[in-house]
Amino acid sequence: MNWENILEFARGPFFQVALLVFVAGMAYRLVRVLALGWKPDRVKAKGSRVGGVAVSFLKGIIIWPFVPWVKNTFSRNPVIYLAGGLFHLGLFVVIFLGTAHMLVWKSLLGIGWFTLPLPIVDWLAAGAIVAMIALFINRLVNPVLKLLTGPAEWLNWLIVFLPMVTGYIMTHHLWLEYDTLFALHMLAVDVLLIWIPMSRISHFMFYFFAKAIHGSDFGKRAVTP
Amino acid sequence: MPDETIGQHLKRQGISRRDFVKMCGVLVGAMGLRYAPPLDESGLPAHLENVRGFTSAAFIADTLASKPRVPVIWLEFQDCAGCSEALTRSQDPTLVDLVLNTITIEYHETLSAAAGFQAEQAKQDAMKKYAGKYVLVVEGSIPTDNDGVYCTIGGRTAVDLLKEAAAGAAAIIATGNCASFGGIPKAKPNPTGAKGVWELITDKPVVNIPGCPAIPEATTGTIANFIVFGALPQLDSLHRPLTFYGHTIHDRCLRRAFYEAGKFAESFDDEGAKQGWCLYKLGCKGPTTYNSCATIKWDQGLSFPIQSGHPCLGCSEPNFWDGGGFYQGQSAPLDRPTITAVGAAAAAGAVIGVGVAAANRMQKTSAKVEKGG
Ligand code: HEM
Ligand code: HEM
Ligand code: SF4
Repeated sequence: MNWENILEFARGPFFQVALLVFVAGMAYRLVRVLALGWKPDRVKAKGSRVGGVAVSFLKGIIIWPFVPWVKNTFSRNPVIYLAGGLFHLGLFVVIFLGTAHMLVWKSLLGIGWFTLPLPIVDWLAAGAIVAMIALFINRLVNPVLKLLTGPAEWLNWLIVFLPMVTGYIMTHHLWLEYDTLFALHMLAVDVLLIWIPMSRISHFMFYFFAKAIHGSDFGKRAVTP
Repeated sequence: MPDETIGQHLKRQGISRRDFVKMCGVLVGAMGLRYAPPLDESGLPAHLENVRGFTSAAFIADTLASKPRVPVIWLEFQDCAGCSEALTRSQDPTLVDLVLNTITIEYHETLSAAAGFQAEQAKQDAMKKYAGKYVLVVEGSIPTDNDGVYCTIGGRTAVDLLKEAAAGAAAIIATGNCASFGGIPKAKPNPTGAKGVWELITDKPVVNIPGCPAIPEATTGTIANFIVFGALPQLDSLHRPLTFYGHTIHDRCLRRAFYEAGKFAESFDDEGAKQGWCLYKLGCKGPTTYNSCATIKWDQGLSFPIQSGHPCLGCSEPNFWDGGGFYQGQSAPLDRPTITAVGAAAAAGAVIGVGVAAANRMQKTSAKVEKGG
């Protein structure tokens, strides 16, 4: 078994299985959340549910990146807040607007879109990696976070970190051969795909649920925050 | 007349020393002599050590002229003779010519004037006469399934012929992707069990010069290196000479600036293609392909595929034939689940989810009933 075969495996059958596990796992999680059901809410409506949802999302979009100082998660520790933001920004730009990754979407979905110049993607990737290291250190030193961080959280961090660094090293052709790095990158990505539904990384879907449900409840009671 | 020195042979051919030194200048460049082997491996006298730093064309010319011409046995198995074609038709008046003047081809199935048992006999004689001295060049992959019956010459299998010829060889060079890594015959489902030379000959160093075809200058440059230094050039982990395979196509590509700037041709006839933009989105495998097409180029340095508007296929890498579509991005997955499979996975996940949720609810209800009752 050499790196050639490992790469072929990780780009081929393993990727296929990982993707199917991801789809099945997310469907499972989604159904479980939906099946929790809503408790009948007999309070008389004072406001609009739809309006509440809209406000909730709009605030997420506007306050979060543009006027974060109104939130106390920001004022309490701006560096960590920004690190979280930088990490997600870098992640999304890399995954959707990096040329290599767009071609993955294109091969899966059949449609492609514009991509950003490499240096921009690359700097954001570097930023995301630095941000992840900052978040890691924060978890190590912050006494409260340290208590909250169990093995699952450390694994979350590691499993997201590995594709990031292997991708970055590969783009810069450092240390190992490109094919070896490609194989490592793909293995890391496949593991991530399988891990997501079983872990809190599934927040990329449930985050929107949480926003929608809270927004809707607040809207109904006309207490939109 | 293989026993005369290279110098004597050149004289007989009417090649002047002046022209010869000029050819050697090209050779020095092509061999990239920064990879010159250590002195004790090179077989040169010790007082020449200081010359090696700036190996001059004249020095190489003198070294070459004093050596006997090297006998070469060239075997073809599951091949298309494309590598031989590329070599003999390359019009390069200097390097390839030079090397063809420094070797004697004792056996070559495509070029041989003799045929049948006479040719086989000539090969046997040459192998005996030059035992331990000849260079074995192999072109084409070797079938191994069903006792190797898929390729036989004179009633003997390729595996058998290869092992026989390899036993007496001073050096073995696999030219082209087929002889190096199995090439097209090895493409899925590999019906003949095709293998590259280095998978079968493990007791001797095998130099791989992959490509489809191999760049003639890379084949001849490697032979020249062997003649001048009496040693093989420095190799990478896939046994390819670093001189020719030390960089990716992408590293030296003339479209690289467009790659960096994110300017890509989206189809073969769009504006980007006309402007000479990067071919990555059209499936270019340049970033993962180690070869010197972008520097040595083809047809006397005229052009190479990417320069002419076609993405690199990655033909100097193992299994390039099965590395995803030629026109699909090099990052695209090799296997994609079908829509049905994705649907089935989603349905399976949902059904299990509903089942578990229902089971939980039943448990809860029965717990309530128990409590209430
Ligand atoms: C629409 C998609 C997403 C949204 C809205 C979102 C939102 C959030 C929020 C609000 C947090 C907590 C605050 C923070 O630490 O910044 C968080 C944390 C995190 N997210 Fe996301 N996220 C999304 C997608 C993803 C994806 C796709 C991944 C990984 C592949 C990811 C990985 C993480 C990680 C590792 C953390 C924890 C950071 C830490 O160590 O503190 N997120 N996300
Ligand atoms: C099937 C999935 C994926 C494939 C085929 C893939 C492939 C690639 C390739 C080929 C590159 C190198 C591009 C170049 O050489 O210019 C790359 C870079 C990178 N990848 Fe992936 N990748 C995948 C998924 C992911 C995921 C899920 C992440 C993050 C969680 C990720 C993070 C990165 C990063 C950070 C880089 C470096 C970008 C840069 O520095 O410009 N990749 N990937
Ligand atoms: S054409 Fe191919 S080798 Fe050249 S820069 Fe683009 S991706 Fe790299």
